Amino acid sequence: MLEFVRRNRVVLTSGSLLLISLLLLSAGSRERRRSDPVAAIVLDGMRPLQATVAAGIEGLAGVWRSYIALVGVKRENERLRLRILELEQQTPRLAEIEETDKRLTDLLAFRSTLAGDTVAAQVIGRDPLPWFGTLTINKGEADGVHKNMAVLSPFGVVGQTMTTGAHSARVLLLTDHNSGIDAVVQRSRARGIIEGALDGGCVMKYVKREEDVEVGDRIVTSGLDGIFPRGVIVGEVTHVTRGTRGLLQVADVKPVTPLDRVEEVLVVRGPAELKEGAP
Amino acid sequence: MRGRPVILFSALAVAALLLQTTVLPLAAIGRATPDLLLIMCVYLGLHQHSVGGAVGAFSLGYLQDAFSGSVAGLNAFGMCLVFTVVYLTSRRLWVDNTISKIAVVFLASVLKTAAILVLVAVFMSIEGLWRTMLSYLLIEAVLAALLSPAVFALLAQTQQLRKAEEE
Repeated sequence: MLEFVRRNRVVLTSGSLLLISLLLLSAGSRERRRSDPVAAIVLDGMRPLQATVAAGIEGLAGVWRSYIALVGVKRENERLRLRILELEQQTPRLAEIEETDKRLTDLLAFRSTLAGDTVAAQVIGRDPLPWFGTLTINKGEADGVHKNMAVLSPFGVVGQTMTTGAHSARVLLLTDHNSGIDAVVQRSRARGIIEGALDGGCVMKYVKREEDVEVGDRIVTSGLDGIFPRGVIVGEVTHVTRGTRGLLQVADVKPVTPLDRVEEVLVVRGPAELKEGAP
Repeated sequence: MRGRPVILFSALAVAALLLQTTVLPLAAIGRATPDLLLIMCVYLGLHQHSVGGAVGAFSLGYLQDAFSGSVAGLNAFGMCLVFTVVYLTSRRLWVDNTISKIAVVFLASVLKTAAILVLVAVFMSIEGLWRTMLSYLLIEAVLAALLSPAVFALLAQTQQLRKAEEE
């Protein structure tokens, strides 16, 4: 018996780990959004590294963008060549500062339209797998960021927090298939649930068939889920499917926030609402 | 594998995860990115015929689960399965040249995706996920296979460290 175990210890270990994985999976799938303490620790441990790499990439991207711009200017106006070369060393840094400044100004302007407690956060990582939509941000429990808080950008809804560490948190994007956001059509007030559609977009489900939904309609949060403030833009309807039978209709929705490029977000830490005159 | 080789392998796993969560999504083909941790798991299956290898494969999967939107255990299961199959295969078949290793990584990627598909069908009801996963299955497998020689070359350093320690 002992000899059998010794000879097959690798296969037996693998089998046990497969079983443990299945048990974890079974436990995790029972609650839709799990709270995994080990994952939170890992997430926090990786935060400084992720932040450093993200900053490095952003720096490189800034240099690259400036280089392209520089080539264009040289071609267009030879007269300014020397001047541009003088500024070459400053340009990448300044361009990057300017871009960051614009983004932060937009974020600040958006923040001022929200009555409620918010905190700005930077995106430091993205989901390693293509079929899930999550982001890692550099704010966590220490900054008052908890599970199930709304995450917004100046464009509109980004998603909601799903796992939090002390100094970082994972955000479930509105395009992830696990995401569900209570929303209404801004024009007709038809109500439905926005869910991720796996192709980078979303769908608005559970909309009554007789409700008025048209292509081009803007979808905003209803505020009824207790997570998102009322009236924040989610996206725009691109297609409406009404079958010949059934009580419901489905609308394809294109998110307004460029989720693959978003770099700074606002986390809503408590009850909040859009002030009058907000976009 | 113990001591310095383990530290080096862990550092490489962290670096691979960093790349997968920061740099590679920016260079994705569609939404498909190469699964570097899977290549490391195949390496363990080919070269680490020990309990440590199995635990390493599980840890790689769990690490991936911690950073993705998936439920804990999904990728951990996929990695353990890949390790077990590669381990059993490499005990019976001679898998030592570059081409055969590339083929193993390609098949391992397909196997992992297929295992995840089955688990998703059993444990979660995610409408249409299989369609998305199938559409990226081949691209991801090809990307992983193409990158595998470079990753294997890096990981070979852990073997050299181990030999040096044994001597």
